[in-house]
Amino acid sequence: MDEKIAEPQTHHAPRTPEEEFLRRKFSSYYAKAPLTVLKPESREFGFGGWEKKIEFRHIRVRNEGELRTRLVNEAPLYISHSVAYYEFPDARPMVKKNWLSADLVFDLDAAEHSCGKFTCTHCMEKVKQEAQQLIEEFLLSDFGFSKSELSINFSGSRGYHVHVRSDAVASLDREARREIADYVTGTGLLFDRLFWKDGKKFFGPKPTQGGFGGKFARAFLKRLDDEEFALSISRKLKKQEERDKLRSSIQQGNYDNIGIANREEKLQDKFLQMKLTLAGRIDANVTADTSKLIRMADSLHGGSGFAAKTVQTLDDFEPMRDAPIFNEGELKVKVTEAVPALAIRDFSFGPYSPGATATLPMACAVYLLCKKAAVLA
Amino acid sequence: MPDLLFCSHYPFSRQAKDAVSDSGAELSYSLVEKAEQRLSNALVSGKIKKLADLPSAQQEELAVYAVCRMIASAANNRYIINRYAVAEAKRAGEYLASDEGARPEYIQEVAGEFGIKLVAQGKNFALPLSSYLSFTPRSIDYKLTNREVEKGMVLVSAHERLRILEEAVKKRIEGSLPIRAKFSEEVQEAAKRMLTLIPKLEIAATKVGQENYPPCIKKLLEDLSLSINLPHTARVALAIYLVNAGATTDKIVDYFRGAPDFSEKTTRYQVEHIRTRKYNMPSCSTMDSYGICIAECRCGTPLRYRDAMHGARLRRIEAEKKD
Repeated sequence: MDEKIAEPQTHHAPRTPEEEFLRRKFSSYYAKAPLTVLKPESREFGFGGWEKKIEFRHIRVRNEGELRTRLVNEAPLYISHSVAYYEFPDARPMVKKNWLSADLVFDLDAAEHSCGKFTCTHCMEKVKQEAQQLIEEFLLSDFGFSKSELSINFSGSRGYHVHVRSDAVASLDREARREIADYVTGTGLLFDRLFWKDGKKFFGPKPTQGGFGGKFARAFLKRLDDEEFALSISRKLKKQEERDKLRSSIQQGNYDNIGIANREEKLQDKFLQMKLTLAGRIDANVTADTSKLIRMADSLHGGSGFAAKTVQTLDDFEPMRDAPIFNEGELKVKVTEAVPALAIRDFSFGPYSPGATATLPMACAVYLLCKKAAVLA
Repeated sequence: MPDLLFCSHYPFSRQAKDAVSDSGAELSYSLVEKAEQRLSNALVSGKIKKLADLPSAQQEELAVYAVCRMIASAANNRYIINRYAVAEAKRAGEYLASDEGARPEYIQEVAGEFGIKLVAQGKNFALPLSSYLSFTPRSIDYKLTNREVEKGMVLVSAHERLRILEEAVKKRIEGSLPIRAKFSEEVQEAAKRMLTLIPKLEIAATKVGQENYPPCIKKLLEDLSLSINLPHTARVALAIYLVNAGATTDKIVDYFRGAPDFSEKTTRYQVEHIRTRKYNMPSCSTMDSYGICIAECRCGTPLRYRDAMHGARLRRIEAEKKD
């Protein structure tokens, strides 16, 4: 454990003891870690350090063995690889790499509802639900991918990545992928395209139909059970018969057989509100980027010390329980900034004020070091 | 025996290709002449005439098509290739429309040519998501978000499916040219004459005033001048920008002359339409979702780019003064 980790020839400031410590830990992990990346020989790799998530890129490895050797020797704090497969992964500029195909990836991140620098279980739960929604309602149901074409991993911080490996989408270009991302996020969804007037009648999507139209119709029918919701559309819906009447009419795509005042305006209003919950929350730029570098599954995240674990079943995955992997030993650290109460692998620690010292289970200590919220004591 | 009628309607098909190589037609002077005619029609009017369905003419038309490809390749110019591809695709589109009623099996065969599996669903058709994304024109009408998508299949109308096939034809021809080969002198001579048909863009004139344009708009203008086919959304965004930047309709129409499917009448009409309806400039995030945002200028809308840049410069000057 004492051998020094190879330091590349750069003009960076000398490594801090914390960085050295973490690199040694990471190196020991990579000696035995599962390497699950598919076709490493055709990918571009990017390695990151203490200051930057990608310090070096255009890295090529010939096989899994070489990848492991480099990870053990260099122990990068972040490892990412291209979603693309190239003929010459290390060639520059990009066009010379000769792009062959790419996985279709979806990046979900809790950053949007995140409450700060430290991991919050509430946010983590929320993003897990969003990942489930993406998989169930979009990838499997709408796009028709099979479960075996999907591979899901924790991002190592506060999100999830879903990689789709399917011949059907491997060669799609940026524009096509942008369409997919826009579909998932409901970007460009237009009320006028889904609803239309025909004489006195007002038609819209049927619940049996595919796409956002069907999603809306199904959700709308469900929401009609809610009296407050129903009344906000029409006072007439106070009566159960009227509600049933409207509901059976919507089954056929007719959205008004009871005489709703200002129906167009009201439906559009509901449509705009509900669109937000029906749409998926992904980072569209990641999906559209055919040469994106994305965290390698089962690699370590230098900002948390957690593994970007491959997830078999989202339901059973608990990031704060399953992603920490340094579960042996303890370490004394000195806290350098205010840390809230946290729990990793059921061990509760904090809150701490700056200057406090604590001897913590290794995973918790590594976490604080990675967050740059503590130093070795 | 190849189906000559099918082959002559769809000369880009594998069947047609086989029919030509089997016939062993000799490259004759009259063939080159006819091919040159077809290509120059495509370049000048954007259209290729349909011939009467006569067996004698059909065999020849296949050979003419093959020679057209040679001339376009010998010219080795993106404008010629793209504009020719658009015209061939339009021609194929017209045949698709007429064959739809009379010979519906032709439609399936053309779809099969591109590996597109069309499944009839009532009056509509479903096709696989990947085919849909690969072959639909990028326009708001085909935005996937507003489509019925289920189990990997996307629903389109009967008419839309023909439009998608037309786009597939265009992409195939664009992608398959130029052919790398040594061409006969006659073909090379014809190619030289084709090059004279390219409209002269007054490059110098179009540069005026562009220095303050945002990177996305500059890129679109550059693409147009290289005869790269811009998606509909990009064209609309560009026209709105130029209208707002104070360019005259004539000037805007001139910019679009580089488009391989340029039609003066349509362009003029659409630019005027944008002007009178006072279309709003798409925001940067919308531009990004169209895939035409190429820089992070952080100005909110391309129209604010100039102010944003000037503002940044002013702030920099102020900061330098303080130092």
